Order: sequence, then C-alpha cells, then structure tokens
Amino acid sequence: MEQERFSRLQMMALVVLRVVIGWHFLYEGVAKLLKPGWSAAGFLLQSRGPFAGVFRWIAERPDVLGVVNPLNMWGLAFIGLGLILGCFTRLASAAGMIVIGVYYLCNPLLVGYFYSVPMEGNYLVINKNLVEMAALFVILVTNSGRHMGLDRILHVWFQKGRR
Amino acid sequence: MAEDDKKDQQGESGKETGKLMNRRDLLQGLSTVPVLGLFGYALNKQIGYERAQKEALAGPAAPAAKPSEINVALLGQGAQGEVLLSAMLKVPGLRFRAVCDIWTEYNQKRAVNTLKKYNFDVNGYEDYQEMLAKEKDLDAVVIATPDFWHSQHTVDCLKAGLNVYCEKEMSNTLDGARRMVHAARETGKLLQIGHQRRSHPRYIHCFEKIIKEAGLLGRIVTVNGQWNRAVKPDLGWPQRYTIPEDRLEKYGFKSMEQFRNWRWYKGLGGGPIVDLGSHQIDIYNWFLQSQPKGVVASGGTDYYDAATHEWYDTVMAIYDYETSAGRIRAYYQTQTTNGSQGYFENFMGDQGTLLISESEAAYSGMIYRDVSAPPWDSWIQKGYVSVPRVLGPQPEGAEAVLDVRESVSPDEHRIPISFRDPYHKPHLENFFRAIRGTATLNCPAEVGYETAVTVLKVNEAVEANTRLTFSPDEFSV
Ligand SMILES: NC(=O)c1ccc[n+]([C@@H]2O[C@H](COP(=O)([O-])OP(=O)(O)OC[C@H]3O[C@@H](n4cnc5c(N)ncnc54)[C@H](O)[C@@H]3O)[C@@H](O)[C@H]2O)c1
Repeated sequence: MEQERFSRLQMMALVVLRVVIGWHFLYEGVAKLLKPGWSAAGFLLQSRGPFAGVFRWIAERPDVLGVVNPLNMWGLAFIGLGLILGCFTRLASAAGMIVIGVYYLCNPLLVGYFYSVPMEGNYLVINKNLVEMAALFVILVTNSGRHMGLDRILHVWFQKGRR
Repeated sequence: MAEDDKKDQQGESGKETGKLMNRRDLLQGLSTVPVLGLFGYALNKQIGYERAQKEALAGPAAPAAKPSEINVALLGQGAQGEVLLSAMLKVPGLRFRAVCDIWTEYNQKRAVNTLKKYNFDVNGYEDYQEMLAKEKDLDAVVIATPDFWHSQHTVDCLKAGLNVYCEKEMSNTLDGARRMVHAARETGKLLQIGHQRRSHPRYIHCFEKIIKEAGLLGRIVTVNGQWNRAVKPDLGWPQRYTIPEDRLEKYGFKSMEQFRNWRWYKGLGGGPIVDLGSHQIDIYNWFLQSQPKGVVASGGTDYYDAATHEWYDTVMAIYDYETSAGRIRAYYQTQTTNGSQGYFENFMGDQGTLLISESEAAYSGMIYRDVSAPPWDSWIQKGYVSVPRVLGPQPEGAEAVLDVRESVSPDEHRIPISFRDPYHKPHLENFFRAIRGTATLNCPAEVGYETAVTVLKVNEAVEANTRLTFSPDEFSV
C-alpha cells in the first residue's frame, strides 16, 4: 500500500480528532433519542436559502418526517460510534460529512442573511459545521481507524481470512 | 503503514505466530474503546441531573390516602370569598355546611347556589352569631369579610371552637390584630392569616433553597417591589340588589357605595398599601428573616376623589432593615393609575438578583447571576435554577458606548417551579392539613401580626411625613 506514514504524535492527533468528533455526533444522536417526541421539523421549517423549499416540504410531510427523524437520530449515533471506535471509519466520516452538509444547506451562511435564531460567535460563510465537515474530510483521507481502531482488527481478520 | 506493520510483525508477533492477530493489533485496535465507557459515564450523570431538574419542577407528589372530612363554614362571600371557594372546591375532604354574608340577596345567594351545584346542603345566614349558635358541628371557618370585621369575626369564631382561616389584612388596627393573637393562644385553635404566598411552592423554593440553603443572592443589600394597577372605576352594584339602609348601618357601612368600596375608607380598610402591599411586604420580612427598623413614606390621594378615596391612591415607602449580615434598604410602591409592569418583588444581593411574583404570566421567577458570583453549575445540576440564558448581544449601535467600565449583563436563570393550581389553594390546603395534624401553619397569627405592624406603619409614616422607627418588641404580642 503506497501511503503516507505518520509519526506516532501525528497519528495520536488524528485519533484524538476522530474521537472528539465521534463523541459530538454520538451525543447529538443520543440526546435526540432520549427526548420523547423529538422532531427535525422545527429545524427544517427555519430553512433559508436556495434549498428552503425542499426542507420545508419535508417538514410538512409527516410520512417523510417519519423516515427522516429516526434516520437522523440513529444515523448520528452510529456515525459517532463508528468514529469513536474507529470502526468503518471511512464510511462513518463520509456519512458524517453528508449529514453536516445537509444541515449546512438547510441554513447556509450566505453573506447578507440574518437569522432569527441567534448564534454564538461571528461567522462569515464558514461556521463550525463546515469546520467539522473539513475535519471529517481529514479523517476520511487518513483513515486513522486502520491504525488505532477496530478497523485494524477487521482489516487483519479480513486479510487473514483471505489468506 | 506498511513499514510500521512490518516492524510490528517482526517485533512481537514473531513470538505469537499461529494466532490470528498479534497483541499489538488488538491493543491498538481497541485503544479507543474506553472512550465509550467515559461517554456512558458522562451520559449517565447528565441524565441524572436532567431527571433531578424535572423532579424539582414537578414538585412533591400528592398524598394518596383519603383524608378525614372537615366541616367548613364560609364567612364573607364577596370577590375574594368566591376565589377562595373555587380553590377549596378542588381540595378533597371538605364538607361545606354554612354560608354567612350580609348581602343575602346577592353574594350569599351565589355562594349557596354554587355549593348546591356541588351537592353541599348549606344553610345561609346574615348574622354570623346566629350561624355560630345554630351550626354545632363546624370545624373550621374561612373569613373573607372587609378588614374592619376580621378581628371580631375571628375572635368570636375561635371562641366558638373553630379553626380560622382569615384573609389578610389581619385587621385594620393593631389592637384588633393583637386580640386575634390572644384569642388563638387562649383557645388553642388554629389561626391562619391569608398571605397565600407563604404557601406558594415557588416562594417556598426561593426562600428555602435559593436564599437559605444555596445563598445564591449573596448578601442582600436592596429590595424593591411594586404593585401598579391601572385606573379602575369604583365598584358598583345591581340596583335591584341594593341592601336596605338599616342593614348597612347595622354592619358599619354608611352607604351602598361605601359597602362596595370599603377598602378606600379610613376605619374600614387600609387603601392600596394595605390591600396590595401587605402581600409583598410580608415577603420582604420573610425572605430577609427580619423586621424593619424604620420607614419613610410618601403618599396621597393624588388622582381619585378624596371624598370617596380617603386612603392614598399612591404610596412610596422605604424600609431599612438591620440584619446580622448588614443593612438592607427595601423600597415598595403602589399606585393605582397605571398598571405597567404590574407586580413583583426584586431582591438584590452582591451575587445575584431574584425577581419573583405570584403570577405565572410575568416575573414568574427569574434569578440573575452577577459576574462576580461563583459558578452556579452545581445548583443547576440539583435543579434549583434552570440552565442560564445569556442575556442577548448588545443592541444595535451599542459598540459606540461599549466600554470596559460597563458591567457585563448577568446570566438569566429561571426558577424551575411552575404552578398550575389556583393561587390560594396551597395556603388553604396548608390550613386544612394543619387541622388534621399533618402540617404546621405557614402563616400563623404571630406572623400575620408582624406583617400588620410593618404595613400599617406606612400609612402612619405618610401622615407623619418623617421617618418612623419600629421598636423590636413592637412586633411581638
Ligand atoms: N389574599 C388575597 O389575595 C386577597 C385578595 C382580595 C381580597 N382579599 C381580602 O379578602 C377580604 C374580602 O375582600 P373582597 O374583595 O372579597 O371584598 P368584598 O367587598 O367583595 O366582599 C366582602 C363580603 O363580605 C360581606 N360582609 C361584609 N360585612 C360582613 C359581616 N359583618 N358579616 C358577614 N358578611 C359580611 C359582604 O357582603 C361581601 O360579600 C378582605 O379582607 C381583603 O383584604 C384578599
């Protein structure tokens, strides 16, 4: 395999990054799962920008919400678990990027948009969602789960099995 | 990676050939699993705190056992009597036996009819003496007559062997109030004064938990409070229910107009400062655990017709307290010409501010943490106060004046106690529980007396136009 080699410290840093993002995802999912009757409808209804129509359409369709809500909650939790454990790391980070991308598109930080919901901090186009998305991109391409994570065991198994 | 792995293979797994994978693979592979344990631990803690908050919000569970019946008479069924009755109809274990009200053709009739609807067979009386003579198995009476009747009604009912719930103001004179305390002591019967905030779960939470236990306000230095009420026409009455003059006179009223608007007349009521202020000034004494040393006050009938509004429509008073923690100044105002900002009490200490009122709609319990105070996280975890709302960003254009000397706005927390019952229900329940021996009175005669001393002095101070002092023994009987 032609791949970059990382020093121990660099590898540790990548693993820490992966685990903290995983923690965040896992709690986002668990917190929603623990809240009886949680629904994405409120968030979706506040959508602005070019895709607002799509998101509002989802918010107003109980049947679609019935799929989107559990998908979102369990999705977040499983992505979080995957990132923490380094299990299917590439899949988890790619899925995480997609999820965050969808959130961003729902409320894109376009220049000149003023939101009724106050946000902490000051952002111009880039917000913390996008930062987290970029960090997931780093995790996706470095695949740190193969070094410190269950992927390493899976990988060895898989290879041994093939042998 | 390849090289790294190769090194591993050579290093350790050389000894462990034959196994599916080496120890290093296993250790590295599982290296982040403990994070899940940490997550589980944190999550468990968090859920515990959230549950504690919810429980604090829900309040104590109601007792399940069916209570023994208490035979109740109602004395005075005007506006407040009606409010108390509707609250009592939600209290289990009461048997209403008699209603006494001199306005037989109107208020008495309404109360009797209401109780009939609830299947209580009650007798109506005009004269309370007759009621006491004829109704032999009464346990308790709830008195909501005009202030100047309280003393006589209460003393006679206590002497007839009844437990008494008497509306505030305990009496319009200290003499009358003192007789009530003596009668309660002599007869050994219960006397609860109707300062209902004393039993309100939010007020109890604020005093017991926020002020006494957690000390979140730090040292309280100033208090302010108010009851502002919009202009209101004098109370009228349906002409066909006018009370004959001889009956009015027999019960101390000069006219139907005075009978309806007794609270504005000297000798009958005490004006807004007594009517409204006494509720809140009672809270001052309670929360400060002290009585004032002096009071200055200004007031007058500035707006209404002084002939029909003998008591002051506008009063502003400042008490000074001398507590073991230090001096406290407490402002109170009541005016009856503009209702803005309604009513509230606001306690300000060097660490926090508590803004509270009886209302669920406005000022239903906010507490602000001053920047100098230590963090309140542990009290949030216990459910004593809610998660803070950081008070919003500076208003538009504020940058220009923003300056390091400006104080940072404090965090706003809420008192997590909402209350859905009629306001007077807990206080009445406390009274009935005390009769059954399962509670002690939240506002016994002695407490009502202290408040009466504190409040009635304001009217004196307005008249005297100078600071009046309280002597410490003035508050005890
Ligand atoms: N705790 C509170 O929040 C609160 C609120 C309002 C009033 N109050 C108190 O309740 C009391 C009554 O106030 P209100 O607004 O109902 O006044 P009100 O004038 O509406 O009612 C008084 C009632 O007492 C009756 N009454 C008068 N003299 C009587 C007598 N000698 N014997 C029998 N009945 C007599 C009248 O006919 C009338 O029905 C007052 O003491 C007042 O301070 C308390």
